[in-house]
Amino acid sequence: MTAVATTSPESGSSGSSSGTAIPPRRPENAVMRFLKSPTFARALFLPAVLVFWLISNKLIQDSWDFDSSVLATPREVWDFMLAEIAGDTVAPDNLYGTFGTSLRRLGIGFAISMVLGTAIGLGMGLSRAVNAFFHDWVMALLAMPALAWALFLSLIFGFDDKAPVLAVILAGIPFVIVNVREGVRSTPSELFDMSNAFGVPSNKRTRHVLLPSLYPFLFAAARYALSIGWKGLVITELFGGGDGAGWTVKFWYDAHQLHGVIGYSMFFVIFALVLENLVLEPISRRVFKWRPSLDSPEIVEEAMDDLHDLNDELNAKSGAGTI
Amino acid sequence: MTAISQEAPVEGRTTQEDIEEAARKKERIVRWTARIAGYIIFMGIWEWASGAVLEENLLPGPIRVFETGVDLFERGKVFPAFGSSLWRISLGVFLSFMIGSVIGIITQNRWFAGFFRDAITIGLTSPGIIWVLITALVFGNVWFSPIIAIILTTFALVSVNVAEGIGSLPKDTIDMARAFKVSLVDRNRHIVIPHLAPYLFTGLRFSFSIGWKVAVLTEVFTAGSGIGFELRIAQVLFRQDEVLTWILLFFVFALFLEKVVLQAVEDKFFRWRKEIAST
Repeated sequence: MTAVATTSPESGSSGSSSGTAIPPRRPENAVMRFLKSPTFARALFLPAVLVFWLISNKLIQDSWDFDSSVLATPREVWDFMLAEIAGDTVAPDNLYGTFGTSLRRLGIGFAISMVLGTAIGLGMGLSRAVNAFFHDWVMALLAMPALAWALFLSLIFGFDDKAPVLAVILAGIPFVIVNVREGVRSTPSELFDMSNAFGVPSNKRTRHVLLPSLYPFLFAAARYALSIGWKGLVITELFGGGDGAGWTVKFWYDAHQLHGVIGYSMFFVIFALVLENLVLEPISRRVFKWRPSLDSPEIVEEAMDDLHDLNDELNAKSGAGTI
Repeated sequence: MTAISQEAPVEGRTTQEDIEEAARKKERIVRWTARIAGYIIFMGIWEWASGAVLEENLLPGPIRVFETGVDLFERGKVFPAFGSSLWRISLGVFLSFMIGSVIGIITQNRWFAGFFRDAITIGLTSPGIIWVLITALVFGNVWFSPIIAIILTTFALVSVNVAEGIGSLPKDTIDMARAFKVSLVDRNRHIVIPHLAPYLFTGLRFSFSIGWKVAVLTEVFTAGSGIGFELRIAQVLFRQDEVLTWILLFFVFALFLEKVVLQAVEDKFFRWRKEIAST
């Protein structure tokens, strides 16, 4: 797991401190220097977690009077993960089958939420009336917990594809809308006016002015729709699915097999990291190749992350408290 | 524009302010009309869909939800459930805030930064449901399993913010204070804490907004009281109207806490900054 995490981007906390190499003031022997290096500390994290895990297992077993077979050891989790990767499982479907089912749902929901969200976001960015029409509802959707959709949709639709796909859409679409709207608002109006004045046809205007300035926002929207949609999907499958990754976690949970739950959770984390580093990062690098600075979309994302500030700004603009 | 000059012929001329005022007024009317139209249309679709598209038991309309809410209040179920959920949330968020701050402070050291780096990455990326299920299986129905789940999902947000805040402390001001022999207490009181406060508040707000969702989710699995428990019961008994009512009630309440109460505290805290903010 840490092997995957090593390739992850800066988490933001250590960026300021670990970048510069300070020359040693007095000569130390190489061993001491190695022990004091952040790399060693980072490598130490995994063993520390394992030791903590084993010690707390022991403590819980000693202090608590219950069947200790519920607890999982790191060894069990490791074996479980290897078996799953080899496609060998007790659950109705193996790792590839469950993730395939879930990814199909995620894909359908994601496509619909991108199309619909972009349409609504464009409308909201271009017209104040449309903005006022949708605004409060989008803000409500934005803050709605995925659990609400999971319980609600699973009662309505039962155990097929409809509930999970709808959950992906409902969880992801507000982020798409908000991002696209901000993108439209930040489109350079001078360029628009100029192309107007020079009689550039509107399809070319859309292609060369509006779209390039929307790309970073669309990209941030896609990222959010994927990651939030994925979380919504897992929870919905957990409550109202008959198959899929979320349902399988629930399967292990119901069977009281902690190693299955932890192992599957690790697959989730790995999946998220792979999606981020091997799919979204390269696409983002490709899409923004024309730009001098690569980190600008990240800034956009962080701004989007700060929903509260966004809300403040919206409150200030609309002059009314939006709860 | 001509309409405006006809409306006010007594003054004989139309000032720039009048035009702007009229435009603003017109815009406000459009905005409020659209907003109210939005409420009416969405509520209308909801009310119409319950019964026409789906059965009323599957999708209760807004009126039915409101009635159920009143009924729940009358039966006195709302306040005990809110109370126990709130207690868990506040304890969990408080502890996660403390732990997250401590980690944020010690990661100023390069060694600890390396040590906690993966912990923070995992804390930021892993969905709350993972910790909910793990704590539910390991600890079962005990008072601290929701709290542990909240801590594990939100501590990283706090530490990232605290670390960010410390990283951007105004070194010049601190150096100057040191040169002028301002005492350590005063230095912290007047420079460090005011500078860190916005970061702390951001961390607190983030962890609250994630914390309440995680708390409700854990209650669904492992609690014998609280909003999540009531939701679970309603779902098991197939009472869609109660599911919707509970979740909407708590949704409104949590947003009230987040946007009104926390905001008020923050405004009070940052009163001194108002002048800077307004310029």
